Amino acid sequence: MRKNLMEILCCPVCKGALVLTVAEESGDEVLEGTLRCAACRVDYPITEGIPNLLPQTACED
Amino acid sequence: MTVNRGEVPDQVYPPAEDSFLLLRAALREVRETDRVLEVGTGSGYVAAGLLDRAAAVVATDINPHAVACARSRGVAAVRTDLFAGLSGPFDLILFNPPYLPTAPEERIDDWLEYALDGGPTGRVTIEKFAADVGRVLSPFGRVLLLVSSLTDPSAVRGLFARAGFVSFIVDEERLEGETLYVLRAMRDLCRMGL
Repeated sequence: MRKNLMEILCCPVCKGALVLTVAEESGDEVLEGTLRCAACRVDYPITEGIPNLLPQTACED
Repeated sequence: MTVNRGEVPDQVYPPAEDSFLLLRAALREVRETDRVLEVGTGSGYVAAGLLDRAAAVVATDINPHAVACARSRGVAAVRTDLFAGLSGPFDLILFNPPYLPTAPEERIDDWLEYALDGGPTGRVTIEKFAADVGRVLSPFGRVLLLVSSLTDPSAVRGLFARAGFVSFIVDEERLEGETLYVLRAMRDLCRMGL
C-alpha cells in the first residue's frame, strides 16, 4: 500500500485513526508493517503490500 | 454466467457479464476528479478498468486471494468487510454484490461463497451496504450497484430509499434466465435533515 492510503483508512471496529509502523518498504509502497488502533489496542497487519483490516478476533485464512 | 478465468485464481470470482456491465456504466459515470472505491472487487477487473480515469481508485474484498489478485492489477487493495476499515470520503462507489438467493443448506463454505451468497432473499449484503454507505460517501457522491432481476430491483430501490437515497436504473442487460441492472444512487438532498 502507498503511504497516502493512510488518509482514508480507519479502525474497522471503532472507526478511529490508525498509526502506521513500517517494517519493509519499497519507494512509497509499504510492503510489511502494522496499523495500530490505540483506542482498541489492536495491531492490524500489512502483508505483501495489503493492509488487513478485518477485526482481528474473526480473522481466518 | 460465462466464465473466462484467465489469470484469476480458483478462489476468486472471475470477470463475467455482471462485471462487464458494471465497468461499462462506471466508465460513463466516472469523472477525472473522483476518488473511487470498489467494494468486493473480486479479481479487480472493474477497479483496474478505471485506473487512468479517476483521481484515485481503491478496492476492498474480504477474500485474501481476491485482494492479492486486485493488487496484481495495480489497484490499491485493502482487505476488509465492505468498507469497514475505510473512512473515505469517496465520490463514486461501485459494488457488484453477492446476490444469489441462497438457502442455508445450499451454502458451500469457501471464499467464492462470499462472492455469490446473498442470503435467503439475495439482499442480505445489499441491506448492510445501503445502511452504512453514507458514512464513506461524499455529500454529492454517487453509488453504482449491480442488481439482478433475481434480487428484486424494486425491493433494492426501497432499501436505498429508506437509507435516504434516490436511485434510478441507468443500464441493463438481458441474459438467459435473468436481467442485470445498474442502479445509480445518490443522497436525497431534498429529504436531508428531515
